[in-house]
Amino acid sequence: MSTTEQRAPSVGARFEATVTTTCGYCGVGCRLEAHVSDGAVIAISPAADGPANRGHTCLKGRFAHQFTRSRERLTVPLIRDGEPGSFREATWEEAIAHVTGELQRIKTGHGPDAIAGLASSRATNEDCYVMQRLMRAAIGTNNIDNCSRVCHSPTSHALRAALGLSGATGSFDDIEAADAILVIGANPTQGHPVAGARIKQAVLRGCELITADPRRIELSDLSTVHLSNRPGTNAALLQGLAHVVIRDDLVDRAFVNARTEGYDEVAALAAQYPPDVVAEICGIRAADIERAARTFAHADNACIAWGLGVTEHKYGSETVRLIVNLALLTGNLGRPGAALLPLRGQNNVQGSSDMGALPDTYTAYRSVDDEDVAWSFEAAWGVPLSRAKGMTIPQMFDAAVARDLKAMFIFGEDVAQTDPDTAHVVHALESLELLVCQDIFMTETTKLAHVILPASAFLEKEGTFTNAERRIQLVRPAIDPPGQARTDFAILTTLSAALGHDMGFADPSEVMDEIARLTPDFAGVSFERLGRGGLQWPVAADGTDAPILYADTFLVGDGRARLAALPYKPPGDEADGEYPLILVTGRRLEHYNAGTMTRRTGNLQLLGSETLEMHPDDAAARVLADGDLVTVRSRRGQIELAVDVTDRIERGHVFCAFHFPEVRTNLLVGDSADVNTSCPEYKVIAVSVRGTHDEPGIGTAITAGARSPSGAVPTGSW
Amino acid sequence: MTDATIACTVTVDGTTVDVPAGATLLDAARAAGAAVPTLCFDDRLAPFGACRVCLVGVEGSDKPVASCTTPARDGAVVDTRDPTARRVASAVVELVLSELPDAPAAHTELAAVARDLGVDQSALRWTGEVHARDVDDRHPYLVLQHEQCISCGRCVRACDEVQGAFALSATGRGFDSNIAAGLDEGFADSACVSCGACADTCPTDAITEHLLLDLAVSGATIEGTAT
Amino acid sequence: MSRNLTQLLVAGEGQDRPTVLDACKAIVAQHGELTDADLRDVAACCGVPEATVHGVVSFYDDLKHPRGRRHVSVCTGTACWAADGGAALGAVAGALGVAPGTRSANGGLSLAPTVCLGLCHAGPAVRDGTTVDAGPGAVDRLLAGATLPAPAPPAAIGGALSEPVLLAGGTYAGLRHALARMAPTELLAVVKDAEVRGRGGAGFPAGDKWQFVADADEPADGGGKVIVVNGDEGDPGSYIDKHLMERNPQLLIEGMVLAAHAVGAARGFVFVRSEYPDSLPALRAAVDDARAQGLLGTDILRSGLDFDVAVHEGAGSYVVGEETALLASLQGLRGVVSARPPFPAQRGWHGRPTLVHNVETLANIPYIALHGAEAYRQLSPGATPGTKLVCLNERFAAPGLFEVPFGTSLRTICEDLGGGLKDGRTIKALQIGGPLGGILPADALDTPLDFDALAQRGCMVGHGSILAFDDRTDMRALARHLMAFGADESCGKCFPCRVGLRRGEELMDRDGPVDRARLEALLETLELGSLCAHGGGMPAPIRSLIAHFPDELGLTP
Repeated sequence: MSTTEQRAPSVGARFEATVTTTCGYCGVGCRLEAHVSDGAVIAISPAADGPANRGHTCLKGRFAHQFTRSRERLTVPLIRDGEPGSFREATWEEAIAHVTGELQRIKTGHGPDAIAGLASSRATNEDCYVMQRLMRAAIGTNNIDNCSRVCHSPTSHALRAALGLSGATGSFDDIEAADAILVIGANPTQGHPVAGARIKQAVLRGCELITADPRRIELSDLSTVHLSNRPGTNAALLQGLAHVVIRDDLVDRAFVNARTEGYDEVAALAAQYPPDVVAEICGIRAADIERAARTFAHADNACIAWGLGVTEHKYGSETVRLIVNLALLTGNLGRPGAALLPLRGQNNVQGSSDMGALPDTYTAYRSVDDEDVAWSFEAAWGVPLSRAKGMTIPQMFDAAVARDLKAMFIFGEDVAQTDPDTAHVVHALESLELLVCQDIFMTETTKLAHVILPASAFLEKEGTFTNAERRIQLVRPAIDPPGQARTDFAILTTLSAALGHDMGFADPSEVMDEIARLTPDFAGVSFERLGRGGLQWPVAADGTDAPILYADTFLVGDGRARLAALPYKPPGDEADGEYPLILVTGRRLEHYNAGTMTRRTGNLQLLGSETLEMHPDDAAARVLADGDLVTVRSRRGQIELAVDVTDRIERGHVFCAFHFPEVRTNLLVGDSADVNTSCPEYKVIAVSVRGTHDEPGIGTAITAGARSPSGAVPTGSW
Repeated sequence: MTDATIACTVTVDGTTVDVPAGATLLDAARAAGAAVPTLCFDDRLAPFGACRVCLVGVEGSDKPVASCTTPARDGAVVDTRDPTARRVASAVVELVLSELPDAPAAHTELAAVARDLGVDQSALRWTGEVHARDVDDRHPYLVLQHEQCISCGRCVRACDEVQGAFALSATGRGFDSNIAAGLDEGFADSACVSCGACADTCPTDAITEHLLLDLAVSGATIEGTAT
Repeated sequence: MSRNLTQLLVAGEGQDRPTVLDACKAIVAQHGELTDADLRDVAACCGVPEATVHGVVSFYDDLKHPRGRRHVSVCTGTACWAADGGAALGAVAGALGVAPGTRSANGGLSLAPTVCLGLCHAGPAVRDGTTVDAGPGAVDRLLAGATLPAPAPPAAIGGALSEPVLLAGGTYAGLRHALARMAPTELLAVVKDAEVRGRGGAGFPAGDKWQFVADADEPADGGGKVIVVNGDEGDPGSYIDKHLMERNPQLLIEGMVLAAHAVGAARGFVFVRSEYPDSLPALRAAVDDARAQGLLGTDILRSGLDFDVAVHEGAGSYVVGEETALLASLQGLRGVVSARPPFPAQRGWHGRPTLVHNVETLANIPYIALHGAEAYRQLSPGATPGTKLVCLNERFAAPGLFEVPFGTSLRTICEDLGGGLKDGRTIKALQIGGPLGGILPADALDTPLDFDALAQRGCMVGHGSILAFDDRTDMRALARHLMAFGADESCGKCFPCRVGLRRGEELMDRDGPVDRARLEALLETLELGSLCAHGGGMPAPIRSLIAHFPDELGLTP
C-alpha cells in the first residue's frame, strides 16, 4: 500500500514537478520529495518509502532549502583582485584558465606534491571520486583528504582494524529490532534528528536505553540509566562496562570463542577497571555503571550508536575499539537488532571516504601502495600514479605554513570556521600561493581564496550519497544552479580536461559505472539499480546488497574479530587553576555545521544565536545570570557569547555549538588530536569563563564581521 | 500476545486475502485492493477510530464497523461497498465539511475523500456554526489554521508516535475540539522541533507551510478562478 | 491520546506522581485558576508534556474556567429541567450579575451550569461551595448565601421484594464467607451462574467480564491487575450510585474485594464525579475503616489476598462515564473515548488488565457470595436475576429510591411507589435509564422494568432512573434540551458525535418546521457512525419523540 497515494491523492497537481532525492544535511540519509514551482523549491516532504526516514524528516531537510535561492549565492566565478577578500568577476573560461595555469606553474616548479585537494563530505560520491581522480591523475599527487578527517576518521580506523570494513555493521532498521541501545557521545535528537526520533520511539515502545554523555541529552530523559561521564573518559567507562560484563559472566562465550581473538588480554585489562575505580575517573556512580552493563548485556539484541563525542578525542579511535569490544563480548553483531551504528555527521562522510578521497586509499579503502590496486587505476586512467601516501588535512596546513605546500583546491568545506585551531588554519591558507575554492557561498575560507568557483547545492545536482548505514542513494537535481554557477561534476571534469586529463564522463552515472568496474565492493552498483531505496555496500555484481555485515565471518585476518586491550588514558587537555572548566562542543538541532546553509533560512528565526550552557552552581560561583554575556578563553583563543544556565550539564563542564561565525568556537580548540587519525579533540577543551563586563578591555566579540575584509559579498546581513 | 506469523483469511468484496494476525479489516481491504476512504488514519500511527469514514459492512454484524480499528478475524466477509456504510460515511464527511468556514483546498485529503464519496460542499444537508478563523503564523515555516482543524488527531499522534516531541495536544471538547502546540503558545515556543510531521499528515490545511499557502494563492490566480 | 502518552505514564508509575487531573484540581481548589506557570509545574511534577496538561485543562468543566472565591453552580440536568424548564440558571445569573461560565470582575464569585447534582428527587438543585441544596426555596437560599444541605431522598424496597439486597447495609459477611470458603475460580463460577448483568447501561454479563480479566496475562512487572469502579454516575435523573456511595459504601468495597479475589487484582480505584461532593468523603472514610479492620490492604482476613483501594475525583465531564474515557480520566488525561479493542480487560489502567464496573453492579456481589447464585436468581423470578434500584424525579408525588425485582411494571413503580405525579399533573412521558434512553409515552406504563421488554419499546434499563415529564412539557424543547446536553458533553473524538450533535441541537433550536428526512439521516449517522454509546445513544430519545410526538416536534411530513 502506498502511503504517498493514500496521504496526498492529488499532491502532484500543486507543483510543476516533484523530484525524489536524498537529503544533503546529516548522515541519516533521508529520502526527500522536493516540490518545485517556477524553478524554485517550494516545499520538501519526506518520501514515505525512504528506508532510513520512513516518511519522516527534520527541520533541516524539510525546511532549510531556501538558501538555494539566497541572494548571497555565488553565481559567477571570482578572481582575487588585489588584497585578500577583494574579488572581480570573471568568465568561466578565464577562471579555469587561471586555475590551470597556476596549478601547472606550481606543479612544474615544485612538483605535484606541492598541491593538495580537499574533497567534501557534503558532495556526492561521484564528485568526490572525480575530485580524487583529478588530484591523482590530473595533478599526480595523493594529497587528497576530506573532512571526515575531523569527525569520523577514528571510527573508520577502528572498525577496519577490528572487523574489516569501515562502516556501520547494520542498519537503522536495527533500532526497532533492538532490546537495548547504548548511545554514547552522541545527541541524536539534535544531531541526527530522524535517527533520534527512531531511537526515541523504540524506547517509548519498550526498548531499554543507556545514554552516556557529559550532558543530560534529550534521550536521557527516557533512558534506563544515564551516565554523565566527564569529557574524555569514554574509554574508562567502556572498560568499566566490560569489567562488569566479564565479572558477572555475562559474556557470550560461544560467540567470543568462535568469532573473536584477544579475549584473555582484554579480560586481564578490564579486571583493572572495577566500577568504583571507573566511577572515580568518570565522575559518576558505580551503581549506574553496574546497571548499565547489566541492562546492555541482558538484552537479547543490543545496538550501540555513537557520534563525535566518542571520536573527536585524543584517544577517539581507541575508544571506538572499546565500543567494538563491548559488542563482541556480548555477541551483539551480525544479526538484526545487534549492530554498531556510528552516526555520521555529514550527509556523505561515509561516501567521501569510500570514494578514496583520502591520502592513503583508493575506493573502498584500498591502499595507494597496493600494487594490484594502483595498477588497476593506472590501467583505467591511462596515467602513472604515485604510490606515496599523501598529506592529511592537518599535515596540509602545517606544510602550507612551512611553505612546502603551495596550492590548495578546497571543494565545499569551510575549514576556516570548522577546523580546530582556527588561527593556524587561517595562517596556513594565507601562506598559499594559490587557494582555489569551489563553494556555494562566500565563507571564512573562500574569503582567503585566489579563485572562487561558484558551485551547486545538493538540490541542484545528480549523483549519490552514502548514508551512515552504508546505503548508497540517488541524488537528483530538482532545480538548476543559480546564475552561472555550475555543478561540481561539470567544474571538476572541465578543470581536469583543461589540465590535460579528460575523464570522458558524460554524466555522473558514468562515474558510478567506473567506480563499480574498479571496486569489488561496488561491483553491482548502478544508478538504475539504486532505484528509490538505494543499496547498502558491499554490493555484489548481481546487485545483492548487505544490510547486515559479519553474519558469519569478519573480514580481518582469519575471519575472527580482533578484541583490543587498550587502557584508558587521560585526554589531551585538562582543567587547571587558570582554565578550570571543560568545554564540550557539539551541534544544535536547528543548524548545520558552519551554518552556511541553515543560517540563510528561517531556521535562524528558530535559533538565532549561540549560547554557552553552564551548570547553575558554576554560574552562581561566577555571579552569572541566564543571558549574561561571557568571555570564554582557552589556551588557544577566546570567544564571547551569552550564557544559558541549565542543569542539563554537569558541574565543571560547559557546552556550546559551532554554527555561528559570530561565535567562532573553534578558535578555542587546540592541536590535540586522535593519535591514530589526527581527528582533532573538539570535545575536551579547558577554558575559563568570566562575565564579559567584568573584564575591561574585552568588550567586543571576535566576529566574522569584525574580521572580514570588505569583500564583494556582504556579510552579517543574514 | 498475538502471533504475527499466523495468517487469517478474509474475503473483501469477493476477493480472498490472507493477512497476518493483528491485522485490521482496513489492512485486509487494502491488501485486497479495495479503496476504503479514511481521514484519521495514517499507517505510521496507531489506529484511532475517530473519523468513521472507513466504515465497512461485515457479514453477521447488524451495523457497519470502523475498518481501521476492527481486528480481522479468520473467515470474515467484508463489503466495502455496503450501502449503509457508504451512506453513513458520506454523511460524516458532510458533517465535517459543515464545520469549516470554507471548502477545503482541492489538494487536501479531505477534499479528495469528499470527491470520492460524492459529497458536495455546496449542498450540505446540515449547516450551522462553523469554526472561527484563528490563524497562528508565528513560526517561520509552519502555519496553524485552527478553523480548518477537523480533530482527526493525526498531528498529535504524529508528534508523539513519529517524532516523539509531544508538542501538540487536542484541546477543548465536542464541537469546540481543536489542537494546540504546548500551552497554546505557538509551535516555536512549545516543545516543537519543527520536524513538520504534523503538516505532512494533516488531511486539511489546518497545519501547513507559509510557502504552500502562498502557492495556493498564486495558483488560484493562474487557474483564473480569481478575477 | 497516543499510545506513547500512556507509555510515559506507565514509565512514571513507580515514582508516585500525582495525575495531571489531581494536580490541576488541587491548584484550582486552592487558587481558583491555573496560570501558565502552574501548568508548566504540573507537567514537570507529573512527568507529562506541557501540551498534554493544556489539553486536559481545556477538557474538563471544573478546570477550563477560572473560579471565584465563591463558586456557585446550578443544575441543568433533565430532572431539574423537568421541574422548572431550566429557569433556575437564568434566575441565579441575573440576580448575582454573573453570566454562566464566568467569574465576576473582582474574582469573588463564579457561576457555572452543571449536570447533574444528583438531587433529582427535589429539583431545581443548586450548589454553593460543597453544599448542595435543592427543592423549593433553594434558589432563594443560594442568593441569600444560606444554602442548606438537601435532605437525602427516601429509599425503600418495593414491588414483590421482601428483603432489601442493595439497600441492606454492607456487613462484609459475603467477603468473610468467600475468602474463607471459596477459591477464586469458585467465586467466579458463582458470579457467572448468577447471571449478573452490568447495571451501568449496557447490561453486559458481569461474569464474562470477570473471566476475561482473570484469563488476561499477569502484567510482566508484577504490579497486578486492576479493578476500577465507575462512580461517574453522570446520567441526569439518576442518583442510585450516589446513594450507594454515600449511604452504603461498605457494600461497594465488599464487592470490590470479592472481585479482586476472583480475578486476581492487586489494586482498585473508585472514580467519583466531582458533582457529588458528599460521595468522596463517605467513600474515603469507608475505605479507611475497611483498611483498619483488615478488610483492605495486605493479607486480607488472613486469606493471603492483597488488595487496596484509592478514591479519585473527576472534574466535570459526562462522557467520562464511558469506560475507556473513565480510564483515561483516572490516568489524569483528557476524558476521551478510545476504540475497542483493546478492551480494558486486556489493556486498561496503565496498560494493565482492568475490570471496570459500575457501582451498583459490584454492590450485587456480596449477596451472591453469601447466598449463592440460585438465591440471587430467585430475587426476580422469570426476569433478569437480582434486584434493581430505580429512582424517581421531583415530578412524582413521592419521589425517591426504590429497590424492586426486575420485571416490576413501570405502573407499579410510578403509581404505587411514586404515588403518581404531584399537584394533580399527569404523566406525558417517561425517560428511563438516562439521556441515552428512549422515551416511553404514558400509555405504555404496563411495560415491565427489564432489559428485553424495554428494548422492544426503544428504551433501556440504563442506570435505572425514571424521569417523568408532566402534561405541560414542550416536547420540542425537550428534544432541544437533550441534543444540547449531548453536544455539550460530546468528548469530541469521533466526527459524527462531535459535529452531528451540534447540528442536531441547531435543527431543534431553529424556528419553524424540522425537515424529517434530514433529522432522521442525522440520527442514523449518529447511531451507526459514532464511536461510543454517547453519540450512538443520543438519537434514541429523539427517535421516541419522533414516533410518539411528531407534531410537537414540528416535523415536516
